[in-house]
Amino acid sequence: MSETIETATPVAPEQALVVEETGAPQRGFAGQNVPRKEDKRLVQGEGLFVDDIKRHGMGYAHYVRSPYAHANIVSIDVSRAESLDGVYGTLIGEEVAAVTEPFFQISSPPGAHVKDYALALGKVRHVGDPVAIVVAQTRELARDAAELVEVEYEPLPALVDARRALEPDAPLLHDEAGGNLSWSGIYEWGDVDSAFAEADHVVKISELHFDRFNSTPLETDGALVEFNRGTGQWTIYTNNQFPGFAAIMMGPAMRSGLDKLRFVTQDIGGGFGNKITSHPQLVAICLLARKLNRPIQWTEWRTDFHLTMSHGNERWFQDTEVAVTSDGTLLGFRTKAIDDAGAFLRYEPLGGVIWAQVTPGCYRWKHVRLEFTQVMTNKAPVSPNRGYSRMQHLWFTERVIDIVAHELGLDPVEVRKRNYVRADEMPYTTPNGCVYDSGDYARMLDVGLELIGYDRLDERRRDAESRGKLLGFGIGSTLDSGTNNFAQSRLINPELQFSGNNEVATVKLDLFGEVVVTLGTTPQGQGHETTAAMVVADIIGITPDDINVRAGHDSYWNSHAGFSGTYASQFAVTGLGAVKGAAEKLAGEIKKLGSVVLGCGVDDLELAEGHVRMKANPEAALPLMACGAIINANNAGLPEDLDVTLNARYVFRPQFEVPDLERKYGNLTLTYAAQIHVALVEVDPETGVYEVVDYAAVDDCGKRIHPQIVEGQVMGATAHALGAATYETYAYDDDGNLLTPNFYDYHVPHSMDMPPLRTGYIESPSPFTPLGTKGMGEGGGAGIHAVCAALQDALAARGKPIVYDSHNPYHRVWELLQDPEASRSRVEVVAQ
Amino acid sequence: MSAQEPTTSRVVTVEVNGQSYERNVDVRRLLIHFLRDDLDLTGSHIGCDTGNCGACSLLLDGTLVKSCMLLAVQADGGRIETVEGLAAEGELTPMQEAFSAHHALQCGYCTPGMLMSATALLRVNPRPSEDEIRKGLQGNICRCTGYWNIIDAVKAASGQEVASRE
Amino acid sequence: MLLREVEYARPSSVDEALWLLGAHEGARALAGGQTLVNVMKARAASPDVLVDLNRLEDLRRICVSGETLQLGAMATCTQIMGSSEVEVSRPILGEVAAQIADVQVRNRGTIGGNVCSNDPTNHLPPLLVALDATFTVLGPSGERTVPVGEFFLGVYLTAVGEGELLTSIEVPAAGNAADGFASITIGRDGTCIVNAAASLESGSPRIAIGCVDAVPVLIQPAATDEESVRGAVQDARLEPPSDVHASADYRRHLAGVCAVRAVKQAEERGR
Repeated sequence: MSETIETATPVAPEQALVVEETGAPQRGFAGQNVPRKEDKRLVQGEGLFVDDIKRHGMGYAHYVRSPYAHANIVSIDVSRAESLDGVYGTLIGEEVAAVTEPFFQISSPPGAHVKDYALALGKVRHVGDPVAIVVAQTRELARDAAELVEVEYEPLPALVDARRALEPDAPLLHDEAGGNLSWSGIYEWGDVDSAFAEADHVVKISELHFDRFNSTPLETDGALVEFNRGTGQWTIYTNNQFPGFAAIMMGPAMRSGLDKLRFVTQDIGGGFGNKITSHPQLVAICLLARKLNRPIQWTEWRTDFHLTMSHGNERWFQDTEVAVTSDGTLLGFRTKAIDDAGAFLRYEPLGGVIWAQVTPGCYRWKHVRLEFTQVMTNKAPVSPNRGYSRMQHLWFTERVIDIVAHELGLDPVEVRKRNYVRADEMPYTTPNGCVYDSGDYARMLDVGLELIGYDRLDERRRDAESRGKLLGFGIGSTLDSGTNNFAQSRLINPELQFSGNNEVATVKLDLFGEVVVTLGTTPQGQGHETTAAMVVADIIGITPDDINVRAGHDSYWNSHAGFSGTYASQFAVTGLGAVKGAAEKLAGEIKKLGSVVLGCGVDDLELAEGHVRMKANPEAALPLMACGAIINANNAGLPEDLDVTLNARYVFRPQFEVPDLERKYGNLTLTYAAQIHVALVEVDPETGVYEVVDYAAVDDCGKRIHPQIVEGQVMGATAHALGAATYETYAYDDDGNLLTPNFYDYHVPHSMDMPPLRTGYIESPSPFTPLGTKGMGEGGGAGIHAVCAALQDALAARGKPIVYDSHNPYHRVWELLQDPEASRSRVEVVAQ
Repeated sequence: MSAQEPTTSRVVTVEVNGQSYERNVDVRRLLIHFLRDDLDLTGSHIGCDTGNCGACSLLLDGTLVKSCMLLAVQADGGRIETVEGLAAEGELTPMQEAFSAHHALQCGYCTPGMLMSATALLRVNPRPSEDEIRKGLQGNICRCTGYWNIIDAVKAASGQEVASRE
Repeated sequence: MLLREVEYARPSSVDEALWLLGAHEGARALAGGQTLVNVMKARAASPDVLVDLNRLEDLRRICVSGETLQLGAMATCTQIMGSSEVEVSRPILGEVAAQIADVQVRNRGTIGGNVCSNDPTNHLPPLLVALDATFTVLGPSGERTVPVGEFFLGVYLTAVGEGELLTSIEVPAAGNAADGFASITIGRDGTCIVNAAASLESGSPRIAIGCVDAVPVLIQPAATDEESVRGAVQDARLEPPSDVHASADYRRHLAGVCAVRAVKQAEERGR
């Protein structure tokens, strides 16, 4: 198996991905809605999700969790639990600390000093913090035994409000960190002071709040772990969506080489970023597999997911000031962001820099100052959630432009068009050196306005009024930055040795002509098997049905690299880039072999209809099956120097540099998909209850390989955003109890909750990617931004309240109606 | 009278997708766990603790139910239909085909329950309106699709035309 | 999550069920299970014995007897929605049942279970208060009829005591009666934040407000105009709970709104 590492070569945007045509023309599959390969098994209930996997003699694990938000652990007694018939054993924090190192911390000090183990040690820091695990013969027995574990706690005051975390008398979560600060940094670009001096108006907003929620994938986290005592090999069947990261975190903690951690995934029931930080649980289950000498099965309960897993970053924006000229040009802004990381830093504080991928949002302002402070509180640890950290910031920029327009009496459409980055400025370098590859936001907005029937808005307002309702119109502009340059982590911690990105694929042509593809990714419904097959089909000259793409991920395939996984809107670039590279390599080898067998030059050959054949004489052809047979089983007489194995491995590596750490300047992401959404809401002024009555979503993710899959992602992201806008929140009481620990209180949209949806798209190919594609899927929270804007518009006639929170359940809308002045007091316009 | 004595376990006889099973089962075992763990029918899924998500939906004696809120013993003598029983000899039903054609599934986790609810709906209402489809699927949570494509798929499976969204 | 160990019995007659409920301390009737099984999964309550009522077809009957619509306690929401007796005699019951959760829950959930669990956010208790229903309770010493004013005693608490069984609910049959129901829910057909049922039958309006107290609050304004209704709600001095979905103030406000809307709906029907 040969391997070549090449850097990405840009493709001319208009180049279609078709096999060279002579004789029998062959259409490219890219751009078509090929039936999904995944569907056949999934619609028959034959998918393999982690809880479906069974092993003889396996023990079921049940976690014992803290009922307190903050408490010292005085004692843990597992003896009664262990003596219950059918219980195989237990694990507590002290044992974990004896055989593992604390998890590597991404942060520089003080966050670097946080000690994080797979189970709580000495104290608990959020409701649900795990203190012990019981393993038993059945699920029910494990649950029964868990009740017999006796834990004595000494409750401590809980810190629930991030804004109080740095006060001198705030409860302290991690003694070793000396305070609740995880990380802070100041970002400043352009000439902020001049911008404010030059401005005609300064709009001040005292406080905005982006609420805490996540995507609640329907399948919770889980694993089944086997430990091979003879070889020291762990096999971890799991649904973790970023095995590259999990391995980096787990290996050193477990004092194990990474190759001893084999990750196997097949079908994953949704990820949305929420299945990235399950490494603490995986470590615990690994330790139990070794300790108890049997396979250990763990499936997270829904309640445990809500209590402990992957909340999205909650962020406050304080003391915001916006410099605006009288014609509505935004010059710049200053703000102070306080980010609530919860009790532990698992993927944090990367959130402190990831937002900078989209510093100006969709807009052309050049002068920005953002002070970022991240603190820890007695709440569930956060982790990436669909739109990770960019969504919070993009909501902020969209709120700002909407409030500015609202206060200065500017038209929300015109002010956006005036300030959007323009198509003719692309590729556009942002104030901090990120490069927006392509896009036309103004045109997307026009498409959205047409879809929603913007010219009939007044008519609809009057109609709503006649029914006693207030109609509101709102725009949500957002970006989906994809394919990270992990060097941005050095802006958080200059000592880190991460940079760039990668993904791997292999494509081989086997003995009987089978074409087999393996990926390093861990898809959770994005259709990787299908789109990978489409790309390979176009290059090898066969159909997607001829290609076997192995389902899921397996470390043993060795088709993964340090950043392998499915997260951060990148598969269409990194995954498909790797697939393209491997397929092209294979194609080259097939032609080399064909040239030897057919006695011609490589350039005389083409791949089409399952053959390698001479362009000038298609009858002179070698079927792919013959190629596979020759190399694998019938290779006598081949030239000695024929470097052909028909087994190609390719590592896609986007072109990135390490940013200037001093100026915090440099390209942090390769591609920028965009979404412009428009919402119409009707508010019942008597109750604050509202409904989204019409909705348009316009997206641009560059070249669409499989339009239906792309649209599916747009729709799913929209649904998540609408849920977060109205219903979904992880709300805590003053004692740190989570008030929404299940689907009964944490209401997610059901089918009757969805508005009518209109969709549109444009394609601005990326000049930076192998296929002109851009990663997409996160959606950037466009629905949240649009609903906030629409609500503010709807309520304008009732005292012009300001929408200041990303989450607007009915009771908040009612409050805005009851006391518009209270929200208005957050905003001040100063003329200069 | 022995028939009246409460017990902690019982012998249960069920027919699932046309096949008969007899097992001794703990009374406290939920029907969904009985199917998944005892009968190795892992097509029906679990997504929550509170009976809200519908991933466990199946048909018991022709009635759509959430099997996480039924004890296995309650299904004794009953006839159960799960997703595994839809396609006969690998021949997908029009509903399953429609789901695929309309991209009504992404991760596929809610799909078994969703298919059972959709199948149950068309049995009682062969040509449901869009509102009726939404109501019929109200007990099934999906986090991937936003439901729009699922509703299109059910419409299509019922022989009705599906309008474009663009 | 998972139930504690429990004993189970499946009686084949009402008498057998009653006997089992009386013979075992900590025995609980298992009706639709749409509430009880979840409670047991969370281990918030763990009865020692479950008496499964689901084979007792006698308890599922819906019939009209003279001026009374009689609903067996085990009649499911789906049955109630599809019942021609209900449609003719008191259609509001079917309309409200149709708003409860989803198809799966309605297929198993029973009217008896809904009222006996008496979760303050349930739909049927306030409705039955407005309709002035009566409840037939079977006990070891025979059958008794409980008027609605004495049935709902507290959160999860009703007049059905240990060893007793609710067998049926009686509602005055009043076809095209002027009934209404209004609610504010968390999402469509979701859990109620506030609900109110109104019945304008027989002179004085009966309005029952749910979600604002341990039991539905009955108010009987002198007249049905908006001012009178709001006044009566105010006079009730409601002290609703505060939770993540609504503050006490907001609930109190919604109570007035729902009461007015329920009355309006009832008036429209009465025409």
